[in-house]
Amino acid sequence: MSRDDELDPPPVPVELLNALIDQPAAADRAPAPVVDVLPLPRFDRPLETGVREARLLTDSPWVRSAGQLTLTVTTEGWKFPAPPPEYTPPPRMASEPAIGKHAVDLPTLPDDPNAAAKARIRPKPTADTVLFKDRLLLLLQPPLDGLFDGRQLAVPFEPFPYQLEGIAFLMPRHAALLADEMGLGKTAQAILSLRLLFHQGQIRQALLICPKPLMHNWARELKLWAPDLPYEPFDGDAEQRRTTWLVSNCPLKLINYETLTRDADLAADPRVYFDAVVLDEAQRIKNKESKTAQTVRSIRRGRSWAISGTPVENSPDDLVNLFAFLDPGRIPPDTPPKHLPRYTSDCILRRTKDLVQSDMPPKTYRDLEVDLTPAQRQAYSLAEEEGVIHLNELGETISVQHVFQLVMRLKQICNFDPLTGESAKLEQLVTDMEEVAASGRKAIVFSQWVEPLEVLAKALEPFGPLQYHGRIPQAERTPILDQFKADPTKHVILMSYGTGSVGLNLQFTNYVFLFDRWWNPAIEDQAINRAHRVGQRHPVTVTRFIAGDTIEQRIALILDQKRQVFHDLLAQADKPATLGLNEDEIFGLFDLKARPRRGAA
Amino acid sequence: MSDRTASPPTLGFLSVQQEPAGWAGYYLVTNAWGRPLEFRLSSAVQPNRVQTALYGPTLLDYLHADVIGKALVEKTGLKPDLIVTDSPTVLALRSRVEVPVVALRPDAAVLPPETRTLTHPRASVALLLPAAFAADESALVAKLDAVDPAVDLAEPFTRIREAVAETRKLGVSGRVA
Repeated sequence: MSRDDELDPPPVPVELLNALIDQPAAADRAPAPVVDVLPLPRFDRPLETGVREARLLTDSPWVRSAGQLTLTVTTEGWKFPAPPPEYTPPPRMASEPAIGKHAVDLPTLPDDPNAAAKARIRPKPTADTVLFKDRLLLLLQPPLDGLFDGRQLAVPFEPFPYQLEGIAFLMPRHAALLADEMGLGKTAQAILSLRLLFHQGQIRQALLICPKPLMHNWARELKLWAPDLPYEPFDGDAEQRRTTWLVSNCPLKLINYETLTRDADLAADPRVYFDAVVLDEAQRIKNKESKTAQTVRSIRRGRSWAISGTPVENSPDDLVNLFAFLDPGRIPPDTPPKHLPRYTSDCILRRTKDLVQSDMPPKTYRDLEVDLTPAQRQAYSLAEEEGVIHLNELGETISVQHVFQLVMRLKQICNFDPLTGESAKLEQLVTDMEEVAASGRKAIVFSQWVEPLEVLAKALEPFGPLQYHGRIPQAERTPILDQFKADPTKHVILMSYGTGSVGLNLQFTNYVFLFDRWWNPAIEDQAINRAHRVGQRHPVTVTRFIAGDTIEQRIALILDQKRQVFHDLLAQADKPATLGLNEDEIFGLFDLKARPRRGAA
Repeated sequence: MSDRTASPPTLGFLSVQQEPAGWAGYYLVTNAWGRPLEFRLSSAVQPNRVQTALYGPTLLDYLHADVIGKALVEKTGLKPDLIVTDSPTVLALRSRVEVPVVALRPDAAVLPPETRTLTHPRASVALLLPAAFAADESALVAKLDAVDPAVDLAEPFTRIREAVAETRKLGVSGRVA
């Protein structure tokens, strides 16, 4: 409607006006006055209403919806493996002493307000943890330091923080090498890691492989650190072992390398599977082609862990071969030694005592040079002179073995004169042992051979000597160690390097005597660290006997030069290193003109 | 039906956090040792202006308890014996579920209204209980007594925060939305 339309009145229809004028009733009542009738303009179009349309309030757009007033969310969730019921005993009250722990009521001291908050230690996902659920499971684990404070899990003593870090390192990894220096408690760390994984339901079957002499030690450590974890050693004849391999549901099985190699076919059986396989003294598989290494690698497994204080005994190839078990394919073929850490560093954890335990008692080396007795000197000189002559006579047919034979002969004379039995070392040892016994301490004496140990046992009779070597039956070994620990009259234990140098915990001893020297400093270190390890509260004195002006002194000089190399091998190695004596060094022990034919093979 | 009061309790830890996309909930269920059994997270929800105006001061209670808290608890397979939250606004959840709900007392000097404070050795900070459900206290204390002494009710929220950071890093939060 236009503006003009609103101003002008709308036209009235003519018919309507005529009807109004012509009404008869009006004409009958009175005469009509004379009026002028003005014609109105005619409406030329229909009338339209001029009122705005008024709609009901319920009609749009006057009522607008404010949208959904209620709020909603969507969710996503993850369920984690449920711990087996047998590992979830009812919690104990805080006042209840933990199993195997002596409770002493001491007044509680207020916390030092200035002390820094105790760092919580928990496993973290690794770069290899790909699945979000797996990463989540690790992130949501409670701190390890809360688990082992003696209330939740029974442990003989609360692990040190560095040990908790070791557990946090092992738990998330499917390939891991724990290479802590001897004496830092690698066994306990491995056991506690397995125990927690069992508790979390992450593993259900595990296999522990260790050297035969250490089976008893592992059994003892398992009882100590995982009393709630059933384990089963591979014992008995072939049929019994077959049952253990294929039928037994025991969560943790314990086998030694020798038995494992014997059961190689069963170990490789496709029905055999372990969620975790742990190698103790893993340097045993450093030779990739050995049957032991092949058998270990043939086991179907989820996690591959290795424990060794000396994973590199001779050359970086040892480490490469170890990784053939830990994570085949991780190290590309022909990787130069200096590039190894690029592939291996995430899987290796190595700590030294210097790093983790500044408060650990010191270890003092005492190189005791003794002069051979006249009888020994005479025998020694004669043997060396004749031996060198003999070697030179061999000419090009000479071999390392020939030199070794002479070295062994001379070293034995350095221990005892073959005719009279005189020994300068023994005289000094008896003197030292008198002091050890007088102070109520205990000592370990190591030798390369069993025979000298048996001679020493007679000579050291006043000090209650015990023997622990290859000629002692397996079943008797653990009671011997227990007696050595408990019996105050037993001041000395005589051990061979081969049997006593690995895995034993003898931290209650404060003196170590190396009656003769081993070829490899790593083996010597292992022996020494039977005493100088976690739990040791007093200084440890290591006496290394060396017969002056003999082959022993020459060997010691070479080994000391090499010992330094060993300490850095895991971190970086610019070139392959040989830690024992190599061929040239062995020939160099004597003034030999003869040399083997090179390149003959 | 097993006697739930006799067995070690299952614990639920519920955290509601404000994120760039809105409020999101994270819910961790553990056993009495504090070991994780189940974890669930919600999508982020952002109230609009009308909702904010209409819900007024009840918005956060509604959002945290009714919308996020209830959804997480109901969707989670494992039913807890006790729910612990780090946000007092989630305490309203108690009227929607048949499980005691307690909140860690915030550092703020002013306590949320209609709450009661209680302490327990399993919590390094004081706990808040809805005053309307004061009768829960005895049952609550009995359940807390059955929790492992090494557990601190405040500690799992640290784990949740780490898990939240991981979900953000991997973009899982956005996937839920």
